[in-house]
Amino acid sequence: MPKAGDAMTEGKVVRWYKQPGDAVKKGEAIAEIETDKVNLDLEAEADGTLGAHAAKEGDMVPVGNVLARILAEGEKDEAPAPKEDAQQAAPEKEEAKADETQQRRATDKKDSIRHSTGEYGETVEHKGPRRDRTAPEPAAQSGSSESGDRRRSSPLARRMAKELGVNLEDVQGSGPGGRIVAADIKGAQGSERPAAKKPAPEGTAASQEMRAPAAAGVPTLETKIIPLTAMRRTIAKRLAESIGPIPTFYLTADYDVTNLMSLRQQLIEISSVKVSLNDFIIRAIALALRHHPSVNASWGDEAITQHGEVHIGVAVATPDGLITPVIRNADHKAVTDIATEVRALAEKAKNRRLKPDEYQNSTFTISNLGAWGIEEFTAIINPPNAAILAIGAAEARPVADANRQVVIRDRMKVTMSCDHRVVDGALGADFLKTLRQYIEQPLRLVV
Amino acid sequence: MAEKSYRDAIRDAMIEEMDRDPNVLIMGEDIGVYEGTFRITAGMLKKYGPKRVVDTPIAEAGMIGTAVGMAMLGLRPIVEMMTMNFSIVAADQIINHAAKVRYFSGGQVDVPIVVRGPQGAGVQLSAQHSQTFESFYGHFPGMHVVAPATPADAKGMLKTAIRGKDPVLFLESAALYGMKGEVPDDPDFTVPFGKSRVAREGKDVTIVSYSRMLQLSLQVADKLWKDEGIECEVIDLRSIRPLDMDPVYASVAKTHRAVVVQEQWKLYGAGAEIAASITENMFDELDAPVARVTGEDVPMPYARNLELLATPHEPEILAGIRRVMYANG
Repeated sequence: MPKAGDAMTEGKVVRWYKQPGDAVKKGEAIAEIETDKVNLDLEAEADGTLGAHAAKEGDMVPVGNVLARILAEGEKDEAPAPKEDAQQAAPEKEEAKADETQQRRATDKKDSIRHSTGEYGETVEHKGPRRDRTAPEPAAQSGSSESGDRRRSSPLARRMAKELGVNLEDVQGSGPGGRIVAADIKGAQGSERPAAKKPAPEGTAASQEMRAPAAAGVPTLETKIIPLTAMRRTIAKRLAESIGPIPTFYLTADYDVTNLMSLRQQLIEISSVKVSLNDFIIRAIALALRHHPSVNASWGDEAITQHGEVHIGVAVATPDGLITPVIRNADHKAVTDIATEVRALAEKAKNRRLKPDEYQNSTFTISNLGAWGIEEFTAIINPPNAAILAIGAAEARPVADANRQVVIRDRMKVTMSCDHRVVDGALGADFLKTLRQYIEQPLRLVV
Repeated sequence: MAEKSYRDAIRDAMIEEMDRDPNVLIMGEDIGVYEGTFRITAGMLKKYGPKRVVDTPIAEAGMIGTAVGMAMLGLRPIVEMMTMNFSIVAADQIINHAAKVRYFSGGQVDVPIVVRGPQGAGVQLSAQHSQTFESFYGHFPGMHVVAPATPADAKGMLKTAIRGKDPVLFLESAALYGMKGEVPDDPDFTVPFGKSRVAREGKDVTIVSYSRMLQLSLQVADKLWKDEGIECEVIDLRSIRPLDMDPVYASVAKTHRAVVVQEQWKLYGAGAEIAASITENMFDELDAPVARVTGEDVPMPYARNLELLATPHEPEILAGIRRVMYANG
């Protein structure tokens, strides 16, 4: 069972496309897998013949467990059956011969006097393996977890690894289900392995993965790791104590979108792509974030990461719940391209066909409830983003113009939820001010 | 020191305490004229007469209720259950009276009774007479529950029970009555409750047990040392309530792995309490989940071959040890 996403612990086999004995080609879909977020096709990792199914359609299977094996020519299927219970494998050794006098019944008074512990010497006949009938079925506990998921380890092994500076990721577990035990840590420490790797600073691995080739002509930003200062730590600690893991504050702005609506209408007339107001807003946010890299950032225990790329997560409601497909490098994309991509991803999301790399590693998220007629609302930050923008409905409203005359304009309220550990109030306000320029003077979005 | 059987150690304890204190008496079914179903009370009627060695009707609730009344008024009755299984007829007297009177009287009235008798399997007494009661009685505050594994402990702990001022459930193992061991001669030799002991020192794995399974665990430990050089540390809990886990924790800190061996059924057995306590208190020391070796989840069969299969023996204990040592040999 592959791990599709950090939070995935198990997946359901929806259907098998291939049956045991079928020839499969590398990359060919073998089965459909359902996770809590999406449905995926399980692709063959090699050419060969499919072995026995280790799970039935409809079975929930823990990540890392075997679903089936692909056999090379001439290879036999080692049935991926659960390991034998240790108790079953125990020696069923015959004990010493019984002393006849010790087999008498205790209910007989005279014999009971002589009854002793001699029963241990009697022969215990095991006709078959003894099973613990009060324990769960072994199948539920078995399975290897050696592929990149959470490594199983004993408490002692974890403590020793910490004390000895051994990275559990570097250790091969020898216990049941690949559990790392104390002996493995000792082995890892004693061997000639390179010194345990220093853990990468928070965020770098993720931001490297998400780096895509930048569009030609657009200067790339730089990914920066900003070590936490004492003041930044104190702000973070005090605010977190006050409100929870993410100390959030909210900034609301009311934008004039009359010009933007008009621009959208013009674009629709000349373009085959039906561009929504939201698509413009995505582009506006992406460009505004380039001016404010400190908002395009993530909190980490040791450092704040300013991401070198702008990936906008777009909250999409599906029948199964909320998911946020990501528009990668949205600051490099034309609004029509954004429109096409959002449509395609939303469609996939509704069919549960999103791939993990299509909904992970955003750097900023938006949630738009305008279509539901919501005037304004607050959204919950999508970690590790530092902020999320909640966008309300664009509607005609009376406002005072520069001459203090009441005019009817198209207005739209947005509320940004900010992680105060990363984004302070003035910084968030600055960002919303920049965003206002892009939205109220929308030619900036196209020049 | 003299070598005595577990049976004689219990008998000696009662005789010495009856000699020492005229308020001590014993009552039970067939303990006088018949001299006891397991011959624990042999010769005692002749020695002390029918006022102090009382043959009762087959009426456990009445016997124990009577004893609670006697104890409240200053006597020190010992009630022999022909088997501990019969004590459940009197569970209300034990749990709701003996264990509650001091509490309800605001500490004014003690109930120094000892309910003692054999329990457990191994002597072909079938499903109704082979059960064990340590987790059943051990659940309730207000009384002590002890389960000695050696003749010396049987004597020393029974004397502590008789001399104390609390109700005591004294659980003997029917299969240990014939077991012999060194017993101190000192008439004031007693063994306190709530003091577990290290019955065998070792560094590789901790085995926690009590009563008959302690003896079996020691045999397995001996064999593992001789055959494979594995050093098991065996802890004898001795008393189930109060439960002294400190030696267990000290041992687990050394071995990082533990096996609990009980004759009882697995679900809600004493081993569950012990395993949970180890996990709660010594989590970071554990290199493997605590293993439980228990009886099979069936009413105890009468047939000898089935009774042997339904109770833990050497192979089950060995399997438990190998499980926590990650040695599936």
